[in-house]
Amino acid sequence: MHHPSPHPSRAEASGESLLSPPEDTTDASGDVIIDGVAASPGIAIGPVYLLKRESGRVEAERIDPATAAHETERFEKAVSQAERALSSIISVTREKLGEESSAIFEAQQLMLRDDALYKAVVHHIEEQHSSASYAIDQVMTRYRQRLEGSDSPYLRQRSDDLLEVQQRLITYLRRGELLADVPPDTIIISQALTAAEMMLFSRRGILGCGLDYSGPTSHVAIMARALGLPAVVSLHDLSERVETGDMIVLDGIRGRVVLRPSDDTLRIFQKRNRRFQEIRTQQRELAPLPAETTDGVTIDLHANIEIAQETDLLDDHGADGIGLVRTEVLLLLQGSITQPEEVQYKLYRQIVEAAAPRPTTIRVMDLGGDKMLPLARRENNPFLGWRGIRVLLDKPDLLLPQLRALLRCAQHGPVRLLLPMVTTRREVQHVHKLLDRAREELASRHVPFEANLPVGIMVEVPSVALQADVFAEVCDFFSIGSNDLTQYTLAVDRGNDLVADRYSELHPAVLTLIKRTTDAARAAGIPVSVCGEVAGNPMATPILLGLGVDQLSASPIYIPGVKRLIRRIAHAEARSLVRKALDLHDAEDVQRLLTDWFHTHVGHLPLGLDGETLGAHGPQVASS
Amino acid sequence: MVERQVTVTNRAGLHTRPASMIVRRGSQFAADFYIKKDGYEINGKSIIGVMTLAAEQGATLTLLFEGPDEEEAADALVALFDDGFGEE
Repeated sequence: MHHPSPHPSRAEASGESLLSPPEDTTDASGDVIIDGVAASPGIAIGPVYLLKRESGRVEAERIDPATAAHETERFEKAVSQAERALSSIISVTREKLGEESSAIFEAQQLMLRDDALYKAVVHHIEEQHSSASYAIDQVMTRYRQRLEGSDSPYLRQRSDDLLEVQQRLITYLRRGELLADVPPDTIIISQALTAAEMMLFSRRGILGCGLDYSGPTSHVAIMARALGLPAVVSLHDLSERVETGDMIVLDGIRGRVVLRPSDDTLRIFQKRNRRFQEIRTQQRELAPLPAETTDGVTIDLHANIEIAQETDLLDDHGADGIGLVRTEVLLLLQGSITQPEEVQYKLYRQIVEAAAPRPTTIRVMDLGGDKMLPLARRENNPFLGWRGIRVLLDKPDLLLPQLRALLRCAQHGPVRLLLPMVTTRREVQHVHKLLDRAREELASRHVPFEANLPVGIMVEVPSVALQADVFAEVCDFFSIGSNDLTQYTLAVDRGNDLVADRYSELHPAVLTLIKRTTDAARAAGIPVSVCGEVAGNPMATPILLGLGVDQLSASPIYIPGVKRLIRRIAHAEARSLVRKALDLHDAEDVQRLLTDWFHTHVGHLPLGLDGETLGAHGPQVASS
Repeated sequence: MVERQVTVTNRAGLHTRPASMIVRRGSQFAADFYIKKDGYEINGKSIIGVMTLAAEQGATLTLLFEGPDEEEAADALVALFDDGFGEE
């Protein structure tokens, strides 16, 4: 595989293969340092627990015959979990994909409930003393071989449907097995984990987590931050290079892992860990103070919330409200996105009440086609496809229960409704019509609710920023999603190692779009917040303030660092910084300008949570 | 007991979608329902069974029904095959 590139990349220029991972650095003491990306701050020192997940292959496992009943029970549980997941997929995709495609899922459901399959698997468990996974593998493989022996290409392909069912079942079985094996006081190293697995492992008392894949904005990273577990991601092939029991240092502040640390190295990291704890204590003292610049401009600092547990962090970290609740994550953690109004109401009410009297901005489900659709129907360009509000307007039955739940929640505290991935004004107007319908439905049921619900949109597509004045007429507020806005503007997928170095939220083109948005909002008299990752990075704070942003929303752990910086700078100076930045040519120019600005106006660059200075490209987990 | 011969007429044969239609329709009746092909017999209410018949276009199958509503069941299932499952 070779990706031709019109320009020699930095890697090529330095003589490395384009596709090889960055080389390790070995410091003077002989420690091997592997660089990744900081995902959740903290330092973990301890033995590795290597979580291996071979794809597809199932070992021939035998069980103690006495535990056959337990194994059958595990099989039944996996079947019902897989059924629930499928029902959710079917209800979302039925209308959109048409009879033809949803028929495949309905057939898969029939397969899960198939009595012949059930009996064959249970027979295998009881008579051959196979584990549930192995029994499923054996039974399904036998079925598939019959189809694969067919002369008809149509029928040979059908063995894929059986394989998909087999994989669904084994996934659910493995999830249980994985959990049972993870010992406490270890650092989990794996290729990838899901957010749900991270939550389960944290309950087992793990020290931290290092992953080969994933980015700092992935759900698994957000979950780690919510749980206060140190985590590093994008570690390339780390899981190939360590064994269970190896002693390592995982530095979630700088985004790196040290293999075979010397005694000296261990002492250094123990010291950094103490410094980190001290800084955390200082941050708590800052919590009750306002985020006010030296010339008297107050910025609202809000918290992004993914899971209800994160509301515990609001007071300690001094959040002025909740700036983003990603409801799709909350709902998926309940097992499926199709939750009835009542379940959703309870879920959101808990968060709204925890924040009240502070406001809560709740984003309706931001579903990506890429996460929901079957392999056969995967979109070629999911980022340009069926996602965000597009899905919800095509599927009003999915949106209406959520709107009713939110109208009801608004009685318990100030709630704002946020719409994801909006690209036309018509979409906003359509949501208002559905809100009217939701109000009528609640009124006819005599259920109490708060009729007045401010509605705003995510500004995450360049066209919306360019036409911000047009959108401001139909919106009560804007929330800039800086991650997607940057990716769409620069045509760079930040999760793609080959181009990720071209991603920069400080690119003058991105800044120009943000400026256009804040100007239009000011003219219309509506507030603007930034809720992307950049909102939590104190290095970017002067720029965002200077652009005229009223509110920043980030993971709670980033709020103190940003607040501390805001209290040290003048808004007027930030505005003059931005005037210069908007005239620059590229992201590197802005970075240089910003570095100089920090030296002049603050005296140094923002400090990391370990008390050391952040480099120009340093990790974002900072305290200023 | 009712026994009927049917031929698979649709080009793709008894793939997942037709198999699912057969199972759904068959499950609407109380009568037991079996399908025989080349000496291999499967439960017609099991989708995996129907799929693993690997019945291609032109294959001849024997449908067997036994139960109180066996006649109605036989008519309903034969109609499905005659229609080619709504496919070409």
